[in-house]
Amino acid sequence: MAFSSALVLTDLNDYIAPSQACIKPVEVEKSEDQGPTEIKVDLEGDYYEISKDGGESKLEKASITLNDCLACSGCVTSAESVLITMQSQEELYGILNTNRLAIEHNDPSQHRTIVISISPQSRASLAAKYNMEPLQVHKRLVYFFKHHLGAHHVFDTSFSRDLSLVESAREFVDRFRRYMANGGEKLEAALQQQDAEKQQEAEDGKRRPRARRRAAAKNEDGDGSATQQDMPMLASACPGWVCYAEKTHGAVIPHITAAKSPQQMMGTLVKDYLASKTNTSPSAIYHVSVMPCYDKKLEASRPDFFLEQFNTREVDCVLTTGEIEKMFMEQNVQFDRLPEAEIDDMFNKTVTNAEMQMAFGTAGSSSGGYLEYILRTAARELFNIHDVPTDPATAPNNARVIVKTGKNADVREYFLQGDDGRILLRFATAFGFRNIQNIVRKVKSGKCSYHYVEVMACPGGCVNGGGQIPNPNSEEVLSAKDWVSRVESVYQTVPGVAPEENEVLKSIYDEWIGDPSSERAHKLLRTQYHAVTQSLANPLATKW
Amino acid sequence: MPRLELVAELEGHQDRVWQAIWHPTKTILATCSGDKTVRLWAPASHSDMSSWQCIHTLDGGHKRTIRSVAWSPSGNEMATASFDATTGIWEHDMRENDWECVATLEGHENEIKSVAWSSSGQLLATCSRDKSVWIWEVESDNDFECLSVLQEHSQDVKMVAWHPHQEILASASYDDTIKIWREDDDDWYCSDTLQGHTSTVWALDFDASGDQIVSASDDQTLRIWKMYKPNNAQGIPTPSNDPTYRTVCTLSGYHGRCIYSVSWSKVNNHIASASGDNTIRVFTQTAGGDEPAWEAVATIKDAHGVHDINNVTWFPTQQHGDWLATAGDDGVARIWRLVQDD
Repeated sequence: MAFSSALVLTDLNDYIAPSQACIKPVEVEKSEDQGPTEIKVDLEGDYYEISKDGGESKLEKASITLNDCLACSGCVTSAESVLITMQSQEELYGILNTNRLAIEHNDPSQHRTIVISISPQSRASLAAKYNMEPLQVHKRLVYFFKHHLGAHHVFDTSFSRDLSLVESAREFVDRFRRYMANGGEKLEAALQQQDAEKQQEAEDGKRRPRARRRAAAKNEDGDGSATQQDMPMLASACPGWVCYAEKTHGAVIPHITAAKSPQQMMGTLVKDYLASKTNTSPSAIYHVSVMPCYDKKLEASRPDFFLEQFNTREVDCVLTTGEIEKMFMEQNVQFDRLPEAEIDDMFNKTVTNAEMQMAFGTAGSSSGGYLEYILRTAARELFNIHDVPTDPATAPNNARVIVKTGKNADVREYFLQGDDGRILLRFATAFGFRNIQNIVRKVKSGKCSYHYVEVMACPGGCVNGGGQIPNPNSEEVLSAKDWVSRVESVYQTVPGVAPEENEVLKSIYDEWIGDPSSERAHKLLRTQYHAVTQSLANPLATKW
Repeated sequence: MPRLELVAELEGHQDRVWQAIWHPTKTILATCSGDKTVRLWAPASHSDMSSWQCIHTLDGGHKRTIRSVAWSPSGNEMATASFDATTGIWEHDMRENDWECVATLEGHENEIKSVAWSSSGQLLATCSRDKSVWIWEVESDNDFECLSVLQEHSQDVKMVAWHPHQEILASASYDDTIKIWREDDDDWYCSDTLQGHTSTVWALDFDASGDQIVSASDDQTLRIWKMYKPNNAQGIPTPSNDPTYRTVCTLSGYHGRCIYSVSWSKVNNHIASASGDNTIRVFTQTAGGDEPAWEAVATIKDAHGVHDINNVTWFPTQQHGDWLATAGDDGVARIWRLVQDD
């Protein structure tokens, strides 16, 4: 997993670590033995092979791009320095400079519209460090990017996250219906029967001894659940998880939701909707997103998010919260002394009324609130249940959703109870490597009884991403764990507003996309995943 | 002077034998081999201990060498660690007197070097060339949940061993260190790093109390480490309020090559070591306290001929407390007895 071990926080080492083998061994075609060969290097540094008859043939340079290293970091090119130089604040400074020159020389062709999208988790991290509220941080960031640096728009990915949530929920409802139609109904009935029996046992005070199942029973769950791919549905917003799944567990890929992540939804909004609205070519827009981790850089550079037609990426550059802080230093800016600017760009989730302005987010975990939103929507659409709390984990006494914490704080189970007491939906969160292991193992062996799992690579959720601002306190004052809790609570101070109530988004959606089940909607709002196949043709890659 | 006497030779494997591990309570030996099988051996009759037969062969569970095998404390289950990056869990069916592979744990990226079952039977640990140590919890119906993936070693981890009564794990690595792992509220962490060896640490073992560890290294020495609790009388600092380990004795000059395996008898407190110099040595303690002294009392040269000796293990109970099992690259497992000549 392309996650540098240098980013691991003390006491919290549950990150997916760099792997040990390169997934792209150089393929050397074995040709007939033509005896010794001669290699020549010309002045430009190109290599030529000189064959016996004196003819030269240019040798292809073996190259490994950032894209190849999507899920692998076992070698030199995975060094942090490469990641950082390819998407860094240096790049942004470069674009800003080109803009300045373009204006000076009156050359509009060199000018690019600069758009900055800020994630609420990065905002919370800065807010916790500088002891401010998220709204204050946002306003200062608007000042920093627009007025100090010269960017044109500053957006909040909480806005585009609503798109991601709606699309994920829509996909879930479709999958669930398909699943029920293809044998799921029987399965659910059987599981509910089991639940009822367990309940009965518990009441009777009896405990049937657990018989160890034989190996033959492994595939004999009697339901063929190993073959159906609709359930469980797994979250896709975390590129760390997606890259790991693509590389190591290709079998679970059909379970990952096709809906794009908030970052990429914003990319589509900017390079498709905004571009056409402002009559700008997508390649004349430079889109920077501020994210809590380094894996978002890899996500932005996926070929699936490259618009070939315009030769541009949906998100051009990802900067981590830590890199933004470095920018403050490089620009000699004292963040807490910055004035606050107005948030007037369209893709933000704030409301201004006569008295004050408020920032809004989404209910649920700091990783986006996927589980909570999909649960509510599914309950409504599938079972006509309307009283699911927006955040069941904080409403412990409600009878509608039972929340159980699993083996550790990063695993939680959510059970939707029907009026008759039957469990209708089983959801779970799984953050961190060890919990991902367990979910993947269950899915692969067909023993996963969940319908949706919010899988995230970082223990503690996105507020604990590898690119967030590290604990500025010494361990005695505030431990690393407590620092993460603090960032999480700052994150939660932003009240949640359901995507359905995001009027701006609704009107944009109607205007821009129209029919959610159309091919155009799928093309703009969904993506694909590709299992990485290891070609073991290279004898040098043999392990023994 | 005591000496080691050959009791039996167990032949049958088609490739090198990596480990020879005793059943926790019965007189049964499990051997795992490069031929991808595990064999269980028992004496042909109660009266004649020199003739052993293979009573079971566990086959078909792995695609590559089985590097390590571990019995559960009850003796009804076994875990096999393989170079194919999976750990097999086998269960003994008493009715059919057969062993069956009931689960395969995946997750490691490459060769698994060692597997160990905790004394409670609740936890399993595996370690691998991918530098990580995994801790699994045994659930009912043959499900194993991954509790933690510990990635603090900087190189290949060669061996893991559990404390004899507590859920504390020790791991030995190519990075020349031993790490001690503890659990704090569902999170496993490294509570101590034992430095001192100047090369790969191949093996380690706890003493019967769990307060001491013996380690075997490529630097041709054995080290005895003693645990010091916080606020100990000797004034040894314990950072982060966890017990720490210090070397109290180094046994050097006894082996001329890498020491691959070491075993601390839980019955008679002897230490046995096996080395690439083809000898097995037995040590007894001659002085205790904070500066213990150990003396080499028995040696067998060329125990497996010209072949490396991969593993040495003492019999775990009083019944045959003077027995040692060894496994070698010659494909043979041998049982030896420490005879006290008086």
